[in-house]
Amino acid sequence: MNDTSVIDLRNVRKTYKGRIEALRGVDLAVGAGEVFGLLGPNGAGKSTIVKIMMTVVRASAGDGTVLGKPLGDKGALSRVGYLPEHHRFPAYLTGRQVVDFFGALAGMPRAERRARTEAMLDLVRMRDWADRRLGTYSKGMQQRVGLAASLVNDPRLVVLDEPTDGVDPVGRKEIRDLLLRLRGEGRTIFVNSHLLSEIEMVCDRVAIMVQGRVWAQGTIDDLTRSSKRFEITMRGAAPEWAVGLGALREDGASTTVALQVADAADAQPVIDRLRAHGVVIERAVPVRESLEDLFIRAVTDPSSGGTLNPGALRHRPSAPPPPIEVAS
Amino acid sequence: MSTALPEGTYGRQTWAIVVAAYRELNARKLFWLSLALSGIIVVAIAGLGLDDEGISVFGWTFESPFFNATVVPPATFYKLLFTNLGVEWWLGLGSTVLALVSTAGIIPDLVSGGAIDMMLSRPIGRGRLFLTKWMTGLLFTSLQVFVFTGACFLVIGIRGGSWEPSLFLAVPLVVLFYSYLFAFCALVGLLTRSTVASLLLTMVFWFLVFGVQSGEALTNWGRTASAMEIASYEGEILRREAENPKDPFIEGLLEERDAQAEDDATWRLVHNCFMGVMAPLPKTGETLELLERLLVDRSGIEAPERERRGEGVFGSNRVRNREVRDEIDRQAVGRSLWWTIGTSVLFEVAVLASCVWVFRRRDF
Repeated sequence: MNDTSVIDLRNVRKTYKGRIEALRGVDLAVGAGEVFGLLGPNGAGKSTIVKIMMTVVRASAGDGTVLGKPLGDKGALSRVGYLPEHHRFPAYLTGRQVVDFFGALAGMPRAERRARTEAMLDLVRMRDWADRRLGTYSKGMQQRVGLAASLVNDPRLVVLDEPTDGVDPVGRKEIRDLLLRLRGEGRTIFVNSHLLSEIEMVCDRVAIMVQGRVWAQGTIDDLTRSSKRFEITMRGAAPEWAVGLGALREDGASTTVALQVADAADAQPVIDRLRAHGVVIERAVPVRESLEDLFIRAVTDPSSGGTLNPGALRHRPSAPPPPIEVAS
Repeated sequence: MSTALPEGTYGRQTWAIVVAAYRELNARKLFWLSLALSGIIVVAIAGLGLDDEGISVFGWTFESPFFNATVVPPATFYKLLFTNLGVEWWLGLGSTVLALVSTAGIIPDLVSGGAIDMMLSRPIGRGRLFLTKWMTGLLFTSLQVFVFTGACFLVIGIRGGSWEPSLFLAVPLVVLFYSYLFAFCALVGLLTRSTVASLLLTMVFWFLVFGVQSGEALTNWGRTASAMEIASYEGEILRREAENPKDPFIEGLLEERDAQAEDDATWRLVHNCFMGVMAPLPKTGETLELLERLLVDRSGIEAPERERRGEGVFGSNRVRNREVRDEIDRQAVGRSLWWTIGTSVLFEVAVLASCVWVFRRRDF
């Protein structure tokens, strides 16, 4: 176990009734003070991992710690804030009452709870609406109140499952800013999301889950380093000798060749040779795989080239692609 | 090693759940409708009066030589209205149905996706969370019964001139009666996650319990009447044998007694079957009847003669219905609190233990 890990899961497995393997041995470590993103297609096991950490679901095997305590430790849970996907608060409570209620469930004394409730309502800009019942709120407003409820107990770890779901672009930006602010306060944030662009913008490290396993985890830079290449775009067709250098892409009057080199210096001989043959170079740029490309690679069957069945299955006709090597 | 929670956490959690439950009740129209109906019934009871001439209804007097204050004291009249109309019909039936409709959704709502996740992620044990939510389901009935009994207490005090604190025994007894049903309702709600299923199946369960209790009452009448007939035959046979051992009627009486003994064996068998089925079930009817018994003991209410289940079916020239009824009443009074409440609470505890077992093991 890593002493600095806020979340440390080891070989966690979950088999639901009907021998459905949702998790097939997950190892996951999240360090203190980082924003960690968990990615994966629907059914990959992301929510199951979160639910196991939050004691909503019990692991079939494996173990782990949250805030240095075994899974399910009540003291640790009192320092965790959690906002599930598709959360549903009682419609008869007002926003203020909901936040206060979850503060009380976390065991906070009344005076402290009241002060934190007001502060959190301010933080999510819901104070003006705090005395209205949740039944009158829009989806975005409910999400804001949910965030306030998950933060009311001054958590050291914040676990958010699809926090921007149903929120408009302005609201998404506010949530992203909030996550960065929470990180600035030294809290650890675990975000489970489909939205790769959101993850890419805020996360220090990510893990990609496919078919109940962690396919890769690390910083985005680490994960995409192996995919670094240098693309040279030339006018007209590429000379015959250049065809074997890398993948070619013809685009109207120009052709792009992607060299599998990590450094621009390694591409210079090819550029020199092209220029020596009178080829007009239109553009030469270093290119790195995006998180989306990485994600698509994770869910692609390397043998068939088709998309893998992403989620938990009783029978697995194909194995997930081999995990990529990540430099530590 | 687990981490300790801040001092007072349990109390704060429990209080928060109770307050949220009260707010939920407050938001439910059915709660207020039920209270309004309670109010109407109290006003109706208060509108009735007895004087020396007869009975008055909101000021209009209907003269009656058989039913007036000289026959039945006004305080007794109001107490009887309270136990028979208020408790047995309103709290025991009407208000209970409304309470079930209102509270059947508590457990299905608790375990619904999106709601349960945040609750379980807080530092509260699953067993405690479930039992606290279950107890908040009794809040509806507790408030209804307390308000109704309080209003009746005032009416009996003001209109009947008798201040009777023992009326408030209705609160724990009616809540206890409701808790039997609500425990079953919670189990169905937990297993099916459906408000409609838990409501309907609880109604069916209640009806079945009522059916078993009625069957037991009916067969007990038959059994008791039969046993009394045999005793009557034997008494007459002994008398005749003492007077004239060669009395020609004795043989006929013996044959009739033996035939009755066969009937008696059948009654006993069927009654024992009903008792066997009834024993582990909650005694809903008997729990409410307990209130009448306690009020008779404590406040001197004499229950009027009234029709009982099975009356009129049994009895003969030898044993009159009235005698059978008196014997049945003696048996009812003789049934212990353990039989009425103990076995019912055992049932409730078993159901709740099953609920907690399921709730603790389930993935949500």
